[in-house]
Amino acid sequence: MIGLFHLLTVSAFLFAVGIYAVLAKKNAILMLIGIEFMINAGVLNLVAFGRYDRAFYGGQTFALFAIVLAAAAVAVALAIILNVYKHYKSIDPDDVTDLRD
Amino acid sequence: MDSLNQIAAVVWATLVVLLAPLFAFILSAALGKRMRSGWLATVAMVISLIAAIFVFSQIWNNEPIHQQIQWFQIGNHPFAVGLILNNLSVVLLVLVCAIALPVFIYSRVYMKGDPGIHRYWMYLSLFCFAMLGLVVADGLLLLYMCWELVGFASYLLIGFWFTKEAAIKANKKAFLINRIGDLGFLIGIAILYTQFQTLDIITLFGEQGLVKQAPPTVLLTWAGIAFFLGAMAKSAQFPFHVWLPDAMEGPTSVSSLIHAATMVAAGVFMLVRISPLFDAQVLFFIAGIGAFTAFMAATIAVTQQDLKKILAFSTISQLGFMMVAIGLGQYGVAIFHLVTHAFFKCLLFLSAGAVIHEMSHLKVQHRLNMDPQDIRNMGGLRKFMPWTFRLTAVAALALAGLPLTAGYLSKDAILIYAFEWSEWQSGVWKIIPISLLISSALTAFYIARLVFKVFFGKFRLNRTFRKQFHLHEAPKGMRYPMVFLAIGSLYFLYSYNPLVFEDAWLLRGLATTTSLQRVNIYHTVIPAAVNGLSIIFIYVAWRWYGRRKYPIRSLSGPWYRFSEAQWYGHHVYGTIVKGTLGLAKILYAFDRKVVDGFVNSMGGLISALGNIARWLDCYIVDALINGLGNLSFKIGGILRGPRKGKVQYYMLSMFLVLLVVLLIGLQFF
Repeated sequence: MIGLFHLLTVSAFLFAVGIYAVLAKKNAILMLIGIEFMINAGVLNLVAFGRYDRAFYGGQTFALFAIVLAAAAVAVALAIILNVYKHYKSIDPDDVTDLRD
Repeated sequence: MDSLNQIAAVVWATLVVLLAPLFAFILSAALGKRMRSGWLATVAMVISLIAAIFVFSQIWNNEPIHQQIQWFQIGNHPFAVGLILNNLSVVLLVLVCAIALPVFIYSRVYMKGDPGIHRYWMYLSLFCFAMLGLVVADGLLLLYMCWELVGFASYLLIGFWFTKEAAIKANKKAFLINRIGDLGFLIGIAILYTQFQTLDIITLFGEQGLVKQAPPTVLLTWAGIAFFLGAMAKSAQFPFHVWLPDAMEGPTSVSSLIHAATMVAAGVFMLVRISPLFDAQVLFFIAGIGAFTAFMAATIAVTQQDLKKILAFSTISQLGFMMVAIGLGQYGVAIFHLVTHAFFKCLLFLSAGAVIHEMSHLKVQHRLNMDPQDIRNMGGLRKFMPWTFRLTAVAALALAGLPLTAGYLSKDAILIYAFEWSEWQSGVWKIIPISLLISSALTAFYIARLVFKVFFGKFRLNRTFRKQFHLHEAPKGMRYPMVFLAIGSLYFLYSYNPLVFEDAWLLRGLATTTSLQRVNIYHTVIPAAVNGLSIIFIYVAWRWYGRRKYPIRSLSGPWYRFSEAQWYGHHVYGTIVKGTLGLAKILYAFDRKVVDGFVNSMGGLISALGNIARWLDCYIVDALINGLGNLSFKIGGILRGPRKGKVQYYMLSMFLVLLVVLLIGLQFF
């Protein structure tokens, strides 16, 4: 029987992988993928906790919204990365330092 | 209806009397140097005189007129401005005009060619306006204003020759001494106002006046003294007499006006106006001061060598006589003497002016080094100026109080009343009539000395400069006004009986005072005694000065010097002034050294404290704040060490902080 514990474990694993990617990768696309990992960890949590709301399926509904928003966010993020590449000829986040103080 | 019309006509005529000189003054001031001839001022004075005579004829021994309109209001207290026309005011009204007009006509010749003559006419008109206003004023406030204006105009006239140092000193002196008196006047007004809440003269001093009904209090006595102080300064009574001899620095015609009808008369007039105020103590005080002044001034006049100074002291002495008359309660007599004195003193001054005029001409013509006013330079002028001599002689006889003159009537009135009054007083007060008798005899002596020294004997300059000088008679423009004044100095203008003053119509119109019991013996003995003494003294003067049998060899005796130095009045004042200045210097030094020193050291202390506080602020408080700031800055600098725009660093730190917060949060749940 797969219980809440298993689902949360997988979610935590996914989150850890995502945050590693975001913090450690030198490629903006891979950072984006890390973000997607983290979002999906969150969505998995929503679905997992959704079992306690049999009346309205609030968890599942909210998960659908989150997936759609994540897709939109990916589109915006890819557009930003494209513009960053056009500007810096690189997508290494360490090269994008013009906003430092 | 007729009487109403008549009242209106009289009031309008009075306004004409007042406004004609004022108009002349304003126009002269506006036109400036174009008004050199003085016709405007003279015509204005003629109009004033005619209107004054009309007013006099309507009011004399008739119902008095009191007209007023509201002037202004302070809170609930209205102040009125208006006229009082009774016997007293109309006599003075006519007198001022009648004295001023001859002086104006005289001045047209006397002041001819003076570069500042347009100012002269202007000031003279202002002077007359102020005096006329003073005479008819119905409220003490208005009276006070005119009083000040008289003082101011006299200040301007005394200092008319303002390039002369002595003239400037004299007019300052006159003004300052008059200020002392004005202070007294003002205090008197203030006391009356606090007591009665009105300044209207009729309401205060009328028949049913508030003063008569009020219970006698010390405050009213003090008010009387205060008013008398004002009159003392204005009428040059001891110890405020010192300004009058110095006022001789003005033109002689101005002196004649000041001494006769305008300036010095104001004090006597004011006292008579407010006479119901005086109680017994004040009257004693007035009589004492008056008698002393009369005696002192007479003794000084005996030794003066300056023609005008002699006359000035004579005026002070005669004013003392008037003050005694007021002190006796014989206000009508005081005014009677004021009127007669105005005529003969004005005449004396105008003759003196004529003599000085000629002497100055001589001085300029022959470039002589001499004082044109010193009687030691004159003598024998009778031959050159017969008319001036005759007129002077009339005035001198009037001043000495010999029969057939006006001076006889008024002076004997004062002396007789003084003796009658002393009957009812304790023995000490006998000194007043006796001192008056002595003063009267001295008067005869000094005026005889003046006449004999100036007009008899030989012209002394001829001997001094070994030359034959020739003087001229005064021109007609100066002589005719003097003739008019000489007529006013004779008895028939006042009484049909040359020997008995009680028949004088003027005195009857003014006799409003408590009559003393008539002591018949005095009415014959005293005139005889006075005239006997006067004639003896005149004879002595004739022997000494006319015949040059002068008995005194050296002129350095202590009494002579005491008199010539004018009883050291100037020295006393000089000492007072010096003492005041010394005190001021000491106070100044005290102020500088002690008060300022204390304040300065306090300031220094505060400043030092401030410096300490500043140091504390700078190096401790500020340093603390700055140190904290710097510390934060440094820590901030350290903390944001990897601030190189590495996004992933930021994220990691955010994540770690979030984690820490969450862990801490978990501790609480």
